[in-house]
Amino acid sequence: MSLWVDKHRPNSLNKLDFHKEQAAHLKKLVNSGDFPHLIVYGPSGVGKKTRIMCLLRELYGSGVEKLRIEQHNFTTPSKKKMDISTISSNYHIEVNPSDVGNNDRVVIQELIKTVAQTNQLETSSQKSFKVVILTEVDRLSVDAQHALRRTMEKYMATCRLILCCNSTSKVIPAIRSRCLGVRVAAPSIEQIGQILQSVCKKEGLSLPLELATKIAKKSNRNLRRALLMCEACRVQQYPFRPDQEVTEPDWELYLKETANLIVEQQSPKRLLEVRARLYELITHCIPADVIMRGLLQELVKNCDGELKLEVVQSAAYYEHRLQTGQKAIYHLEAFVAKFMAIYKRFFEEGIADLF
Amino acid sequence: MDIRSFFSSANAKKTNNASNKTVRPEPSKLNVKGKSTNEKTGRRGNDGSKSTEKGRGSDKKGKGSYSRGKTQSKSKAKRVIALDSDDEDVNGNVAVKKDEKQLDEGTKKKRKRQVSSEERNEDTVSSHRKVGKKAHLIESDSDEEPIPRKKAGSGNDKKKTGIVFKEDSDEEPTKKSSMGSFLKTPSPQKVKSKTEIKKTETKTPVNVSDFFGSSSVQRSDRKTAVSKRKLDEDEEIHEDDDFEKTLAQLDDVQKSKKPRLSETSPQKSASTPSPSGNLASKLAAKAKQFSMETSTRKVKEEPKTLVPETPEPKQILKKASPVKLSPKKVLSPQKDVSPKKPSPVKSEKAHAPKVSPGKPSKTSPPKSASTKTSPDVPELASRTSYRSYLTREGPQSLGAKEFPEGGENCLEGLTFVVTGVLESFDRDDVKREVERYGGKVTGSVSKKTNYLVAGRDSGESKLQKARGFGTTILDEDGLIEVIRTKPGKKSKYVIQAEESFSKEKSKTPVQKTKSVSRLADFERRASSSTPSSSSPVKKEGKVSDEPVLMWVDKYKPTGLKQLIGQQGDKSNAKKLLHWLTNWHKNEAAGVKPQGKFFGKDDGAGTKAALLSGPPGIGKTTTATLVCKEAGFSFVELNASDTRSKKSLQHEVAQALGNETLVDYMGPDRSKSRGHKHCLLMDEVDGMAGNEDRGGLQELVSLIKGTKIPVICMCNDRNHQKMRTLSNYCFDLRFQRPRVEQIKAAMMSIAFKEGLKIPPPALNEIILAANHDVRQVIHNISMWTAGNKSITYDQAKDDSKRARKDMKLGPFDVCRKVFVGGDETANMSLIDKSDLFFHDYSFGPLFVQENYINVFPYAARGNASKHLSLLARTAQSISDGDLVDKAIRSRMAWSLLPTQAIYSSVIPGELMRGSFPQMVSFPSWLGQNSSRGKSERILQETRTHMRLKISGDKRSLNMDYLPYMRHSLTRPLVARESEGVPEVIHLMEEYDIIKEDFDNILEISKWPNSDDPFKQLSTKTKSAFTRTYNKEVHMTPYSTGVLTKKKRGGGVSVAGPEEGDEEEEDAASEDSDNDKDDLQKDTMIKQTKKKPAASKEKAKETTGKGKGKGKTSKKRS
Repeated sequence: MSLWVDKHRPNSLNKLDFHKEQAAHLKKLVNSGDFPHLIVYGPSGVGKKTRIMCLLRELYGSGVEKLRIEQHNFTTPSKKKMDISTISSNYHIEVNPSDVGNNDRVVIQELIKTVAQTNQLETSSQKSFKVVILTEVDRLSVDAQHALRRTMEKYMATCRLILCCNSTSKVIPAIRSRCLGVRVAAPSIEQIGQILQSVCKKEGLSLPLELATKIAKKSNRNLRRALLMCEACRVQQYPFRPDQEVTEPDWELYLKETANLIVEQQSPKRLLEVRARLYELITHCIPADVIMRGLLQELVKNCDGELKLEVVQSAAYYEHRLQTGQKAIYHLEAFVAKFMAIYKRFFEEGIADLF
Repeated sequence: MDIRSFFSSANAKKTNNASNKTVRPEPSKLNVKGKSTNEKTGRRGNDGSKSTEKGRGSDKKGKGSYSRGKTQSKSKAKRVIALDSDDEDVNGNVAVKKDEKQLDEGTKKKRKRQVSSEERNEDTVSSHRKVGKKAHLIESDSDEEPIPRKKAGSGNDKKKTGIVFKEDSDEEPTKKSSMGSFLKTPSPQKVKSKTEIKKTETKTPVNVSDFFGSSSVQRSDRKTAVSKRKLDEDEEIHEDDDFEKTLAQLDDVQKSKKPRLSETSPQKSASTPSPSGNLASKLAAKAKQFSMETSTRKVKEEPKTLVPETPEPKQILKKASPVKLSPKKVLSPQKDVSPKKPSPVKSEKAHAPKVSPGKPSKTSPPKSASTKTSPDVPELASRTSYRSYLTREGPQSLGAKEFPEGGENCLEGLTFVVTGVLESFDRDDVKREVERYGGKVTGSVSKKTNYLVAGRDSGESKLQKARGFGTTILDEDGLIEVIRTKPGKKSKYVIQAEESFSKEKSKTPVQKTKSVSRLADFERRASSSTPSSSSPVKKEGKVSDEPVLMWVDKYKPTGLKQLIGQQGDKSNAKKLLHWLTNWHKNEAAGVKPQGKFFGKDDGAGTKAALLSGPPGIGKTTTATLVCKEAGFSFVELNASDTRSKKSLQHEVAQALGNETLVDYMGPDRSKSRGHKHCLLMDEVDGMAGNEDRGGLQELVSLIKGTKIPVICMCNDRNHQKMRTLSNYCFDLRFQRPRVEQIKAAMMSIAFKEGLKIPPPALNEIILAANHDVRQVIHNISMWTAGNKSITYDQAKDDSKRARKDMKLGPFDVCRKVFVGGDETANMSLIDKSDLFFHDYSFGPLFVQENYINVFPYAARGNASKHLSLLARTAQSISDGDLVDKAIRSRMAWSLLPTQAIYSSVIPGELMRGSFPQMVSFPSWLGQNSSRGKSERILQETRTHMRLKISGDKRSLNMDYLPYMRHSLTRPLVARESEGVPEVIHLMEEYDIIKEDFDNILEISKWPNSDDPFKQLSTKTKSAFTRTYNKEVHMTPYSTGVLTKKKRGGGVSVAGPEEGDEEEEDAASEDSDNDKDDLQKDTMIKQTKKKPAASKEKAKETTGKGKGKGKTSKKRS
């Protein structure tokens, strides 16, 4: 009895619910017998991995679904030992090098070499290459990415790489140029709504369109989240009602509360409270950019005209710093302080204008 | 002598104009220094104006006399001033200054003084009465002056020198002219003035007199007051200090050349009651007359003066500044005189300057001062609300007024509180000024507060309190008055030092030589031009007697009583002594060491003592002295000896069982039967590196078996290396001595060395050295190498430089970054960025953590401004983070200064203000590590669930977990035990083990979400656990390997019928199995699992089935 989101995951390119044209392209690509390295990118929750698995299944058949978890041990040049778990079938191996942090370069070098250096024995019935899936490529260190580019060419004969990431902006151009880019865009709200309804139908439930749209909107066009929300709604109250409340994840609520606190009062004391809440969010591993975006979305609702402009600009300023800096809290807090200052000033000016 | 005097006079004349100029600037310079005597001059009123006019050079002669007097004074003065011509100018300045001072001081005695001054003014017309008496008085002055002319008799010379000294002493009281001195000897002064007047009348002015002018008058006064000799002597001492001080100030004064007139004029207005209008011209005239008269007089009067004076020089010699000279101490005058013989000219010079200051004092007795002081109570500041406090403006006319020159230590023992805004002073200035004179500035009013200085918008509560306690309330002018009018007095520390010194002297004849040497020093310094003359004397005194030693060694305590800060019964020295003397007894009795917390801690039974404390506070000295006191001889091993395991074994181990040769061979072997000895292990924390390998361990083992006491010393007893050792030792921790304790000792050293260090300056030095006695001595030694006296400002300056090397903890650094006020007001940019470098990894964190808690002054209570400051600070901190990233990721360490600016300096500047809270420790560290923990948990959980879910750990966290949390707990909450199978099924579906279950609940828990697990009854929970443990859960990963280090790794494997808390069970099982299984953890778990699995019907794969077994089966 797994969750709907996993239970109803499509397992072949034909069954994909959206971007069907792209699925067809991929199918053709695979059927031609060979294909270049791929880089699949798009926001999270749009089915990148699902699509990749479908692709592999198309390529190798159902054998690719016999997965196992393996532990690999590596030793860095500085004698540091580390292990990383991979998921592999007989035909492919999936690894997330960024799991080991700064030593991802070693993983890339060693792992791909070991995989790529073994040829398939029986090339007649099987493909002559294996597939290495690297996830979260945008979190790879630059060193690791450089280590990747020569490997990509050298072992072209025995392995194909499929890179998976949210955005290519952090992937070095050298790698981007060696790969065929496959962009998986987020499904539209209608598409999500339809998917939700079809899933409910499979579950033997009927989902009102209004509710489906509502969930889709709340989910931020994230299909995974939409499905999970939908199931949560089902648990909450079965005969769906169109005006039903859609529960949001706790962290989102918390984030919104934080934003409200900021709008409510601007003072050093409040800034301290907000800092504590930001820390809470960060320790729960909510990515800083998500926090920043969530804050901005809420804050901007309370601003108008010029103020909005100014707030968004400063948000952009500090968001950029988030990416280039080290300690997220500094920049988040700086943004909050900046907002407080702007807002307070604006507010006081507004009062002054009244008189 | 004559020639010389003429020469000097000629110089003086030449430089008249210059000197005039220089004289004027005095006040300005003083102002700059903060010691300015503007007000004094102003109060002087007429007198002041007179003096100033003189300065302008209306009387060239008068000036000449001044200058000459100055040069003479020089020779006496300890300070080495520049060469002749310059000196003269200086002296002239000095003289004028002294005059001013005296005037100021005389506030109480104004009237008397006024009389005297008037008399002076009227010199020409003055009556002849009192001539007889006064002539006698005046003689002293005359003595000196005539001497140069006479030259003939060596005896005369001697006498002269003697006289000179005496004169100095006489003058000194006037110079210092602490209020008390005036009070005590008001009559003599009057007498003097009168006598002078008479003389002037009687005798027509002579050229010579010009040179000796005014100065002589004062001296004579003192002499007359034979009965008050003691008092005079006291005063004399003061005067010495003052004189030096003034000299120092004069140096400064010369540099600045502001017109005095501007200052004087307002002052005059302030001081309404002045005796006569156009004083200047009169004064000038007087000066001439005086000088002439004195010169003439001297010749005649010499014999008389000599008799009384002779004892005085001795006293001076013995004690540079004896507080209370007892007549006993009078020694043979010849000895004293002898040093001076070589340079009689100098002696003359010395006289002259002293004389000069005396005169001005007479001339200008300020009455205004007295008037002002009495009405000190300021108009009460208007009631100020907090709001007005926030918005109140800064001082309006900063620098409009200048602090007067006060008597040395005139404020000692007084406590001030400053409230409100003083219009013309910075608060820091006030504080500095008060401290300069030995006073103390505190923050709030208490019973002990002597004065409340209230300015505009002063705090109501403080005023009320002050009224309640009867504290005197002053305004600015009141404060100035207090400083100006309070009599200088000898610091109690100086007094102590002198007393102790005199005691020593009385015991040992050595003192004499010392005094001689000191005298020689005097001379040498004073007459910089002719050092050769004094040098032989000096050699006699010092060089022959004692080898050149560092002061630290020279003044090393020779007995327990001299130890600084170790006098109390509970002091470490006493404890150590007690321990040491009882050591053998306890050893014989077999006393076991007691715990620290039971009974009294006298260290009985411990074989060794560990003295610990910061450097320079006398640990080693204490140890050696205690050994001496207890009659132990000792072997010392310090860091300069190799103290490896081997060498300790060879050398020390034997020594610990040895007896010393002293027992058999020593000079006092008869009484030292069973001579005791001990081992001193100095600097044990220095036992490091290859050289001393194994030394500490060996030391510990030696201590265990030692037959003699061992005393170890170290700086940081909490250091890792000291851990073992400290367990076997009697723990004695040395604290830094208090400032007062050090100060007393330092004053006595200073006294012995003939140094002039005002106690407030010493305060600064001690604080700068962080209470490190050794450092203090070294610093003093260095700073006085060129110049035997240190002024407060010099000391403050020097010690500021020395202070730089102090190490601050991150908390102090953070406070210093933000806190405003005098502490940080004068820090340069470099200083501020140096704060960052105290710890550049911690510093920024502290700043970031605490900047919100600061109330910036710049905001002035304006919330909007405050917020924008916060925003700017936050931005700067964020900038700093970018730099930090660049530094760490690209090894661009050269960017550290940049980071210092962004992360520390700019935030500090923006937010500078009050810091009401404690500095809190950066929470980022804790938060970051808990974030790291969450990451790890997520990663692990994701690895476990990976086969079923897509998405990385972030989406797992944000998307899955909130719903997983509900799915995992809802059945239990809703249906209690019935929901258990459903949950377990879900867990199996996602390959979640119990541990993950807990983790998920933990990590998806938010402050705003309820904890469903809490709603569960324990029954349900135990049912859940039991059911879960009953079954074998196959996971696609090997739990053994993965969770090797982590708690509860064996949960899934735990025995079937365990109770509620599976973790406990696992633990107990572990312990059970430990006995049987010597294999590794993973193996233990496997062996555990086998029985469990077999019991559970061994459904599927056994043993290692946890590995890939399950998946492969499933899939295949």
